[in-house]
Amino acid sequence: MDQQEILDALAGLALFSDLDRPQLQAVAHTMSEESFSSGQRILRQGFSGAGFFIVLEGEVVVRVDGGDVARLGKGDFFGEISLLLGEPPIADVVANVPVTALQLAGPDLREFLLAYPAVMYRMLQSVSRRLDRANRRS
Amino acid sequence: MSLTTPEKRAWLVKVPLFRDCSSEVLDQLADATAEFEFAPDAPIVQQGQVGNGLYIIVSGGARIVAGSDELARFGPDEFFGELSVIDQQPRAASAFAVGQTTCLALASWDLVAELERDSQLAMNLLKELAGRLRAADVQLRH
Repeated sequence: MDQQEILDALAGLALFSDLDRPQLQAVAHTMSEESFSSGQRILRQGFSGAGFFIVLEGEVVVRVDGGDVARLGKGDFFGEISLLLGEPPIADVVANVPVTALQLAGPDLREFLLAYPAVMYRMLQSVSRRLDRANRRS
Repeated sequence: MSLTTPEKRAWLVKVPLFRDCSSEVLDQLADATAEFEFAPDAPIVQQGQVGNGLYIIVSGGARIVAGSDELARFGPDEFFGELSVIDQQPRAASAFAVGQTTCLALASWDLVAELERDSQLAMNLLKELAGRLRAADVQLRH
């Protein structure tokens, strides 16, 4: 994807919906574009040090002990819980088809969120919704 | 118990959720929080209602219950009730007092305003919820 396509993709994501164009450009510069082939593992259960990923194209599956537990597509993100807690991921995340994602290196997530409070608030909403769902399932 | 605003501030500064928050935010929180007393087993929040605030336990405790399942127990310096405020969904669980309980309550709009004012507070809350989400995910697998 060229820079303009990445910007357009970012502008359409809920996570970044409160940012203006210059902020989106800064975000695009901060994150690196990564491509993964179908079947490639992006996060590995039990292994730390990966990063925070936002799916721009394609689909990934979240796999625990070999079983699929969720599918994530465009605009979904993953890796943030492990980074926030400083713990290894508790699931594999595997590209289901060819995937384009933006990656932020693990150590940069905290500073990134503090620099973009509106993004942090969106992430807070996402984590709240997931926790709410988990509570309703138990 | 009836805490004055300076007493509330002195207590809030020790609550982990407010660690490293700005002095301005702590002042606002001391002003904005209201003290509530609950008799043992009295309902503090009820499942199905839309959240009107966050509760921080000063003394006593809270049992978080969904249907017939106890999801969690919280004690002094811990908080609950934030999910429904942030995601604007009806509360997924009820909370009941464990023994005589005193809470400071922060209204939804005040919580949202403080989160916008101090990104350190948002980071503290995000980390705590990330920990609770992970604990819930691990629990669901067993």
